[in-house]
Amino acid sequence: MEVWGALIGPLGFATKSLRRRGFHSYLAFLGLTLTVATTTFLLLLGQDLATRLGDDSSMRSTFGISWLIFAYLVLALGLIGIVGLLSTSYLVSSMISQRMRDIGVIKAAGALPRRLLSYVTFEALLVIVSSCLVGALSALLVYASWSWPSISLFKQVGPIANAGATILIVVPMISFLLAYMVASVRVRRIVGSSSVNAISKQLANLDLKSLGKPLRIGRFGSTFNLATRNVSRDRGFNKTLLSMGVCICLSMIVLSGALVSADTSASYVVRAMPPHVLIVANSNIYNQYVSLATSFSRIAPLPPIDYGNESYIISPQNASAFRAIPGVQTVDTRLITMSSITGYVKAHFASNQDTGENINTQIIPEVDTGSINALIVGINATSAIGDWYTSDGFLQSSDAHYTMIAGDSLVGNIVQTPFNLSQVSALGYRYDVKSALVDPLNAGRVLYAPVETLQKSLGLNGFNVLLLKVNDDPTVLSAVSQLASSFGLAVGSQDPILNSNLTFLNGIWSHIFLVPIITLALTCGILLSYLATNFSRRFNDYVILKVLGANAWYRLSLLTWEAWGVLAISMLIAIPLAWGISIFFLVPDPNLSLGDLELSTLVSLSALSVVSLASATIYSRRLGLTTVKDLKP
Amino acid sequence: MASTDEEIEVRALGLAVDFLDVSKEYIVNGKPIKALSSITLNVKEGEVAAIVGPSGAGKTTVLNIIAGLEKPSQGEARVLGLDVNASNEHSLSAFRSANIGFIFQSYNLVSTLTAEENVELMMELAGWSDSGRNEKLTEELISMVGLTDRAKHLPAQLSGGEQQRVAIARAIANDPPLILADEPTGNLDQKTGLEIVKLLARLKGEKGKTLVVTTHDDRIVEMADVIFHLENGSLGSIDRPARVRN
Repeated sequence: MEVWGALIGPLGFATKSLRRRGFHSYLAFLGLTLTVATTTFLLLLGQDLATRLGDDSSMRSTFGISWLIFAYLVLALGLIGIVGLLSTSYLVSSMISQRMRDIGVIKAAGALPRRLLSYVTFEALLVIVSSCLVGALSALLVYASWSWPSISLFKQVGPIANAGATILIVVPMISFLLAYMVASVRVRRIVGSSSVNAISKQLANLDLKSLGKPLRIGRFGSTFNLATRNVSRDRGFNKTLLSMGVCICLSMIVLSGALVSADTSASYVVRAMPPHVLIVANSNIYNQYVSLATSFSRIAPLPPIDYGNESYIISPQNASAFRAIPGVQTVDTRLITMSSITGYVKAHFASNQDTGENINTQIIPEVDTGSINALIVGINATSAIGDWYTSDGFLQSSDAHYTMIAGDSLVGNIVQTPFNLSQVSALGYRYDVKSALVDPLNAGRVLYAPVETLQKSLGLNGFNVLLLKVNDDPTVLSAVSQLASSFGLAVGSQDPILNSNLTFLNGIWSHIFLVPIITLALTCGILLSYLATNFSRRFNDYVILKVLGANAWYRLSLLTWEAWGVLAISMLIAIPLAWGISIFFLVPDPNLSLGDLELSTLVSLSALSVVSLASATIYSRRLGLTTVKDLKP
Repeated sequence: MASTDEEIEVRALGLAVDFLDVSKEYIVNGKPIKALSSITLNVKEGEVAAIVGPSGAGKTTVLNIIAGLEKPSQGEARVLGLDVNASNEHSLSAFRSANIGFIFQSYNLVSTLTAEENVELMMELAGWSDSGRNEKLTEELISMVGLTDRAKHLPAQLSGGEQQRVAIARAIANDPPLILADEPTGNLDQKTGLEIVKLLARLKGEKGKTLVVTTHDDRIVEMADVIFHLENGSLGSIDRPARVRN
């Protein structure tokens, strides 16, 4: 202690100042540390999850669903980074603002601007450097302890060496640089302004336009009325509101985005494989179809099978017989086969304008995009049961005979965009690609073509799989089973397949949901720091109230109203905006369950209310320790 | 110093402040620092008491103990009959908001409230919920201190003297029997200080309040009924001016 006390120069000034400002210095340090630590940890976690999920689901899932998951992760991590950086700059700016008066006094006493600049910047640097170091270390410790008790996903994939080493260095480094930049700009501005302005900052911080008739609502009591006046007249209020609003909005996009993405990905699967559907086929084809339909969620080798074997073919007459069963709504007649397909980008003209007015047109020759084994499904466009999410619609009866819809896992490699230039060669014919769809069948490596075309290509007159959309009634299953057995066919519900796929999807999202949950915790921590630093700016006013006789309950109530007021206004704007962005701009054809919406709003409101109460309680307790001697002249 | 017999007699008459062997110690850097050492003093209701002495003599500590903001380390302190030692923080807050008005050297008005709102705040803290009555009373008090045309200004828009006048109006807003003033003219020039002294005199004369004032200002000392001289935390002497003795 004595060694520090004896120090002179910037270091001595900074350490003494920080020690003597005690609680307020500690709050600034804590806020910055929390921001750096949580941002670093979240980015580490996100990168880790992306790597592990990428390894784990590359053999399963479909391209469309994986894209949804990874696009969400990238967006979430980007937003978390922005929240962290915004919060860092706000906290540093608030920390410097609290020192405005002292800087003015020292300057007025005759300190040279250059020396003053180095003194105050050094003080800020001490807090920033220690926060970044402690934050990075805390993030590393939490990350290490979190990864150690390996959860199932980790067991499957194994440890990832060097995961996040870059993040661990880059995030605290960027936070430091940003914090230093904000601090030096703020200090320069204060040091550069006149001493009188710096000393009489009280007036500078107040909004003189709002001095009209104050809001007075009797039923909420004196503390509410006082809080509205304090908040509405504080010029820093708008800045705080903006910072909090942006922080809440971005964090809510992370949370609502996860819910919308999860619900939408589940809806894509449900739409491709709706419930209350019966699969009717020869037992060999039936088993093969079940394997193909569950290849989305599990890795199992597909046995080779002759899809066109005569004994597997169901005649059109037999298929029609199922339509006659009461309770059968639709019969989706399919002819499936596995074949090697080759993708092409058709020869086409490409035009480009040079620097003048000349337009150069050149012929781009046909390009072979490669070959792959894919499932080809011949389907009747008018009786298709699935309601897939498609890019440009499903097959129509008016479509040309050699038209195909490509599964999402083929897009980007075999099938290139734009689809009007894309062709697929299968079974000796060239098909134009009309659109793409998200389909769990054969993990998205699937092509849908008109069933008549496929029958013609294979020389078959019939189908090998029937999908029956039925009423939710056990008697229908019994009637269908009876008829199927009379034709020597097996029957089973598609529901277990759907459930298996949804369980797999939920498993992935349950890992990813760690990101929004911890982001919510980060937001709460950041908001707590915002509110606490905001209270610190008006500490003297609260001490006056205490001295005048405001009891602990009055002080707590006042601080809670102020905190809640700021949060409520921020939330009122930020939460609907975040939901709007998530629902309308985040994913195509979004889906969101009402329960998820209600739950997430309730959780967010509760968490943020707890934050306002916590910040008020912390500060109220601190005020309890003050005496009249803590009043600043 | 008053004799024990006199003290008993005075208590019977009604004491606003009654300190008996009050000491106060602070621990600074692990070392005990004595701020007050066995102070015995009393102030009768309706009196003006001046506490004088050099800086660091313990004047503000005496005021803090009277206000219940601090408790004595030793001794007995009674204020308007309330035993400060035996009361908890909540009852001391309630007591303060109902019975004590404060005037500080550096005014200490709430920065976000206008002059009239600062005055009205005390009424709210005292639990007066009739806003119509509070507004009317505030208007009267603001007028009494001569700030009607500055009522809607924020503290930062007022001069030092004006702020102190608002502080005086605030101090009597909840009609407290006891007013504590900590060097109320310390930050003001001669002329402005005189206005404040006149206002304080009105509090005694017209309102019949008990005033305990720490001061270096002779004009306030002249106005006092009893003067306590503090030196290094001890009570040096107690003077009662001739006009009072007579």
